[in-house]
Amino acid sequence: MSVPIIPALLRQSLAELAADGERLDGREKFAGRDIEIEIDCLGNAEGSCRVRMGDTIVLAGVKFQIMTPYPDRPTQGGLMTSAEIRPVCGPNWEPGPPSEESIEMGRVVDRGIRESGCIDTNELCILPGEKAWQVILDLFAVSDDGNLFDAFALAAIAALRTATVPAERFDVGEDYKLGVSGTPIMCSYQKVGGRFVYDATKREELGGDERIHITLGDEGHVHSLQKGLRGIFTADEFSEIMDAAQTRCAELREIIHKLEESQ
Amino acid sequence: MGYGDYQCMDENGIREDGRKADEMRPVEIECGVVPVADGSAYIKWGKNEAIAAVYGPMEAHPRKIQRQDRAILDVRYNMAPFSTSDRIRPGFNRRSREISKVTRDALESVVDLELYPRSKIRVEIEIICAEAGTRCCGITAASVALADAGIPMSDMVVSVAAGKCNGIVLMDLNKPEDNYGEADLPMGILPMTDELVFLQMDGDLSMEEFQLAWDYNMKAAHEVHAIMVEALQKRYGGES
Repeated sequence: MSVPIIPALLRQSLAELAADGERLDGREKFAGRDIEIEIDCLGNAEGSCRVRMGDTIVLAGVKFQIMTPYPDRPTQGGLMTSAEIRPVCGPNWEPGPPSEESIEMGRVVDRGIRESGCIDTNELCILPGEKAWQVILDLFAVSDDGNLFDAFALAAIAALRTATVPAERFDVGEDYKLGVSGTPIMCSYQKVGGRFVYDATKREELGGDERIHITLGDEGHVHSLQKGLRGIFTADEFSEIMDAAQTRCAELREIIHKLEESQ
Repeated sequence: MGYGDYQCMDENGIREDGRKADEMRPVEIECGVVPVADGSAYIKWGKNEAIAAVYGPMEAHPRKIQRQDRAILDVRYNMAPFSTSDRIRPGFNRRSREISKVTRDALESVVDLELYPRSKIRVEIEIICAEAGTRCCGITAASVALADAGIPMSDMVVSVAAGKCNGIVLMDLNKPEDNYGEADLPMGILPMTDELVFLQMDGDLSMEEFQLAWDYNMKAAHEVHAIMVEALQKRYGGES
């Protein structure tokens, strides 16, 4: 992503707002934007989800391929996550091979899901040593107004949890629901005006410093952490956002579960 | 490609999806779907779904791509990896490059580029669900997105395609009709004058069939145009 030139002025006004405990859009520091989640929104994907957080909109699509298991793990299938940030989603995203930012996003989302163990790769085995399912999770940004990470992670887990394995189309039995045993949720915090805020908008990202991404599982266990960008933070700051993440992740998990029940 | 076992039409002249020969799939358009873009449109065309976003006019860089007398259009057509039944590997391929180019050629014919020397206007077309006829879908959505962005144009390009399956000329082929079909004639039409800015064809059509396909396209273009205008009016109000 190319970085526009405004941030010096923007940083100043963000610092002034932060001193009064305020944010550009009037939110509390740990308040998120309104969220809309739509499941099964893509006709040709085996699992899909659209998430809108403020003016950030993303899609996640799950596809399946048949792979040959790795020789050292003959009974295991695989999960592959790829985030594509195409220039459709904002003025500063440029065409070309995957950028560092999009690779980081794909990998951080992937780690949260993988490390939570919610997908049992042994269950993806069709014929040991010969055939297994590869689950491919594609993340696609439609509109980037900040915090693509959380939007991607939320869309990803919702799409996986509602995905159907297309066994009939591949001639290996009957279609069945992909087994996903947990609901790992990511919460991201960005240092803006000297303190961490949750769910930063694009302007907060542009005028902000380091960001921290926390993925928590069903029991509140930590499954992935990532610090990104330049900046220094203290143990106290981290412990404050970790507490906030515990509460917020539980809320978001509840939203996903309610949505699944209503399907 | 032969007829195979596929029967595109029953004895009453009704196609598999319930349409008559000259009927389009249902088309829905919505403007402003990418909030951070200068203009955008979502189109649902049968089972096709596409998003188009417009950014600019903005500085064209690097400088060697600038035109001193006019703006350039930077058009990209892309299919999302989950848009088809077999996943598409991300990245440009020859097909998407060609479609990007013919789309640019069509849109450059109507946009008043001379108003913005040395600048560029980015037009991004993303197919998120593909059935058949995604290039028409993309060009049409891009026209609405350009209008939504307030870019001056002499007219909006409406792109539609007629084709032939089982020897019958059909408007707007769906997936099986396209797979088993014998011809496809996509056109980009300016509805105010019935002029063309985009034309492709492949397959086999007699002159009579060609004329019929052409006439189907002209009629359909006006139907789609009404839906495009309606989408813009819904966002901005006013009369056409």
